[in-house]
Amino acid sequence: MKSSPAELISEAKSSTQNSKMKRAVSVLDFILRLIAVVATLASAIAMGTTDESLPFFTQFIRFRAEYDDLPTLRLFVVASAFASGYLILSLPLSILHITRSSARRTRVILIILDMVMLTSLTAASSAAAAIVYLAHKGNAKANWFAFCQQYDSFCERISGSLIGSFIAIPLFIMLILFSALVLSKR
Amino acid sequence: MMSSTTIDVPAESSNVAKGKAVLVAAPRPGGWKKGIAIVDFVLRLGAVAAALGAATTMATADQTLPFFTQFFQFEASYDSFTTFQFFVITMALVGCYLVLSLPLSIVSIIRPHALGPKLFLIILDTVFLTLATASAASAAAVVYVAHNGNQDSNWLAICNQFGDFCAQTSGAVVSSLVAVVVFVLLIVMSALALGKH
Repeated sequence: MKSSPAELISEAKSSTQNSKMKRAVSVLDFILRLIAVVATLASAIAMGTTDESLPFFTQFIRFRAEYDDLPTLRLFVVASAFASGYLILSLPLSILHITRSSARRTRVILIILDMVMLTSLTAASSAAAAIVYLAHKGNAKANWFAFCQQYDSFCERISGSLIGSFIAIPLFIMLILFSALVLSKR
Repeated sequence: MMSSTTIDVPAESSNVAKGKAVLVAAPRPGGWKKGIAIVDFVLRLGAVAAALGAATTMATADQTLPFFTQFFQFEASYDSFTTFQFFVITMALVGCYLVLSLPLSIVSIIRPHALGPKLFLIILDTVFLTLATASAASAAAVVYVAHNGNQDSNWLAICNQFGDFCAQTSGAVVSSLVAVVVFVLLIVMSALALGKH
């Protein structure tokens, strides 16, 4: 009653612009989630299927390397698979956000869950990256031998599988950013 | 007729004047958002201490064993591990960011309903959370190998020899993980405050 018709029309225009922006951001959120699913799943599978046996052996020992031998790489496979599963399960929630732009509580829940998964994925992939670095370079002071010199294809596999999760991490950050942006618009 | 129109106009203008007076009066009370903003500020102070403490503890980790051979002396310092160097630099960066974000937190206390500072803080907090987690986790992986060794790759557990060095690096990693937990809490609080306005 107090605002004039002109003000009401301008408010309506800005609210439709707002809802269009929210919808566009939600669609982008869904697409990024799909890409992150592929990245984390590829990471987990690439690391989980590593197995290399060297062609020579002594009387007592067979030289074999798989991801299980290093506990950090085991953690990486689990965390990557976990992140991938979470992203698949959060796809329906993302679709809900596309159809209902005004959903606030579910967006807050999604931000919090996304952040928890971001932390665990970052932790696991950084730990695996530190171990892979040691595998490549070794450490002279601690007398840790760089086993990449012997296990070539194993080394390539574990190094390459890190790429998938390091693609997923900035995607997670952008997902959180988008949800926060949409929440801050009335 | 004419008297009714003249009565109408002053009533409307006095209503408008009243409305304008309400607009320039005191801002709405903060309520729980102000409480959350104060907790946010206090947690940020704690995280500054944790992050800078982690950086300095790791940077001063240095131990020389009391025996030596003819050719070299047994010494371990954070310098010998690239991961620990990364840890020191990154934790110092995170500590600086937290110090610089304190004014924004204070602004958020004074104006609990303003969304700009909260949005800015949540985005930057997420970026630095990732950085802090990455450095903490990679240092933790190296500390784990130093404690337990690895039989399959023939990596010896150096903690058995360099006890003090090991204790200091482990303490630094724990302190940085405390900073990571505080970051998580800060982001959760900012998200809750953004979600209800």
